[in-house]
Amino acid sequence: MTAVLIVALVTGAILFGIGVYGALSQTNLVMIMMGVELILAGALVNLVAFWRFLHPESYSGQMFVLVVMTVMAVEMAVGFGVAIARFRAKGSVEMEEAGDLKG
Amino acid sequence: MYAQAFFVAIFGLAAIGFGVWVFRTSSMVRSALALLFSQTAVGCMFLAMQTEFLGVLQIMMMATEMSIMAIFMVMFMMDPGGLGGMDMTHQKRFSIGAGVIAGGVAIAVALLADWGPVTPQAPDAAMQTRELGMELLGRSMLIFETAGITILTAMIAATAVAIPVQTLANGGDKEDSE
Repeated sequence: MTAVLIVALVTGAILFGIGVYGALSQTNLVMIMMGVELILAGALVNLVAFWRFLHPESYSGQMFVLVVMTVMAVEMAVGFGVAIARFRAKGSVEMEEAGDLKG
Repeated sequence: MYAQAFFVAIFGLAAIGFGVWVFRTSSMVRSALALLFSQTAVGCMFLAMQTEFLGVLQIMMMATEMSIMAIFMVMFMMDPGGLGGMDMTHQKRFSIGAGVIAGGVAIAVALLADWGPVTPQAPDAAMQTRELGMELLGRSMLIFETAGITILTAMIAATAVAIPVQTLANGGDKEDSE
């Protein structure tokens, strides 16, 4: 049974690593958001595995999963809002062209 | 037990494979679809781990979210079909290094930590849903309400950011100030 927990945790870790690569390497705002989604998916897998195999009697674990899902939805909503504003102002959501956002 | 391990591993591999495909294809629409399949595979992992409610919630939520993302991809990308073969990456070495280190450290923790005794049996689906409802409307109600308010605030903020700025000038004529 521990093997299933390890498989889930390793899957979550690899998804996290892929997400970190995507968020850092992509130049497009929407692709960066995709990387962040993968990072959060890795966190979700770990949370569900911890709840299921270590503490199934405590439902705070499932509550935590719902909070992370909320973070995913909020990230998408705000990200798309920023993308629309940026596209309207500059005609592009390429982060290479967003040097003017530096302070 | 073996069936559970098999299905968790299969859906985990699918989630990883589609996750890699997100950043391998030059078509942005295919990227969005790959992310949809990856998130669906994650939802199927939840189902395989007997977390039925969260699994179905994940699949439904991600199907909607990724469909919207695909539409935004087509709207905003110069080459959504990927026919031009544009390279849309930067600082590749650093990114690969950061990804490998982050994933490697997390894998090392997963393999080396002592997780203690593992519970073989999960509560049945009906009991889980009931207990989660009791948790949401009991001890964690403040967190639940805060999450709702946060989503509402994000919706209003996103709409406010996305609306074009207009100034009233010359006796009420609307003028875009982009």
